[in-house]
Amino acid sequence: MSEIYVITSGKGGVGKTTTTANLGVGLAMRGKKVVLVDTDTGLRNLDLLLGLENRIMYDLIDVTEGRVPYKKALVRHKKYDSLFLLPTSQVKDKMAVNPEQLITLCNELRKEFDYILIDCPAGIEQGFKTAIAAADTALVVTMPEISAVRDADKIIGELGRADKENIKLIVNRIRPQMVENGDMLDMEDIDDILSLECIGQVPDDIKVVTSTNKGEPCITMDDSQAGTAYRNIVGRMCGEDIPFMTFEKEGFWTRLKHVFRK
Amino acid sequence: MSEEIVKIKGSKSGLQLSFADGATFDDVRQDIEDKLVSGTGFFLRGTLVLLPSDAFTEEERGKLQKLFHEHGLICRTMKPAEQQTPSEKVREESKQHQEAVKKAKAEKDKVQEMVVVNRTLRGGQEIRTESSVMVCGNVNPGAQIIAGGSIDIRGTCRGMVHAGAFGDSTAFIIADHLMPTQIRISNLIARSPDEMEKTERAERASIKEGRIVIEPIER
Repeated sequence: MSEIYVITSGKGGVGKTTTTANLGVGLAMRGKKVVLVDTDTGLRNLDLLLGLENRIMYDLIDVTEGRVPYKKALVRHKKYDSLFLLPTSQVKDKMAVNPEQLITLCNELRKEFDYILIDCPAGIEQGFKTAIAAADTALVVTMPEISAVRDADKIIGELGRADKENIKLIVNRIRPQMVENGDMLDMEDIDDILSLECIGQVPDDIKVVTSTNKGEPCITMDDSQAGTAYRNIVGRMCGEDIPFMTFEKEGFWTRLKHVFRK
Repeated sequence: MSEEIVKIKGSKSGLQLSFADGATFDDVRQDIEDKLVSGTGFFLRGTLVLLPSDAFTEEERGKLQKLFHEHGLICRTMKPAEQQTPSEKVREESKQHQEAVKKAKAEKDKVQEMVVVNRTLRGGQEIRTESSVMVCGNVNPGAQIIAGGSIDIRGTCRGMVHAGAFGDSTAFIIADHLMPTQIRISNLIARSPDEMEKTERAERASIKEGRIVIEPIER
């Protein structure tokens, strides 16, 4: 039975696309057949994070407008055979696809794939409405920051209005040291407002930036804390019961290690 | 016409109507209807209109009430104690007991008018109603409740809440954790302090001596 996820957030820059890429790769590493659908038409990024930009032939708009069958537009990942990307157009805008077209497409994809992950654009307008239309489950990505939490709250309300009952939370870019010092919202504060089942707590990690530039998601790196967190989310998506990791804080020993490294 | 059939008198709680002696029900109804249709400044939507309880039969008062409701006004029969002229008061005495029973029943019906919201109100969501509101869930920042009556929140209130939005200054707001961005009751506004701490006990906000007062309550 295949599942359709939409990765959404309301606010921009919290890591929707990064999360989509990482979860996609993570599921493919477990041998699942996965397709990532980029719906951020006009501002597409997902192909860059996967390092697949130069392989794109057709896009989502070609498929929804019936110019090519979807199989022709799919781009296979260079390393993981069971991972595919359905990129969107960089020249068109969000009005080019409507919810019905995406639902039809996803129903076709369902026959072929175990997991369909839809990367949603920021905002609550047309693009958002299209992206969530086909989803069974919504993953709301937020950051420990009041504006991101406020927007996530709004998005959860909008998802409720669209009758999406199955909503889960991923808190991204946590800085354990700042949380410790009380300079950043902690999980309790976020849960207080959003009261939503959390399936992921991802620490802020510089490796995310380097891996993005290389086109290779950090979930493949064993020494990346964010990568470990994403692997845990993938496990939870597959129904495993994994406890949340405790973050490595800048304690005495780690600081000492840094000194010796220098 | 030297004397008007329907006299309107403004009071603290609303508009008090009194009718000229000897005016028939049909005269009065016609006059009120004319006034409503002509859109006189008195009858604003949501205004409370009070009918003298000795005028006409209950059935006829019901008809008038319906007429006001159709034009968006709230209409009630005046409590005997509120009646203005002493002569009326004397006349009232005999009927008073009977009336009081009926009134209690009517009042009870009024109390039961309540909107129950069985979920968390999230940012951007709004409840707007003429009656009272009970929320079983939180009211998040960015959410709004505007109620004609009182508001009871079984959860944390962080949004904007307005009780007695149509002028009822006896309306109140209760929440398990009352930490709203703004509280409005009737025509008064209070905002939260800039540094807000989570309260441990349920609190109640109401108007006392012309200001919004918040006090802890047992629940």
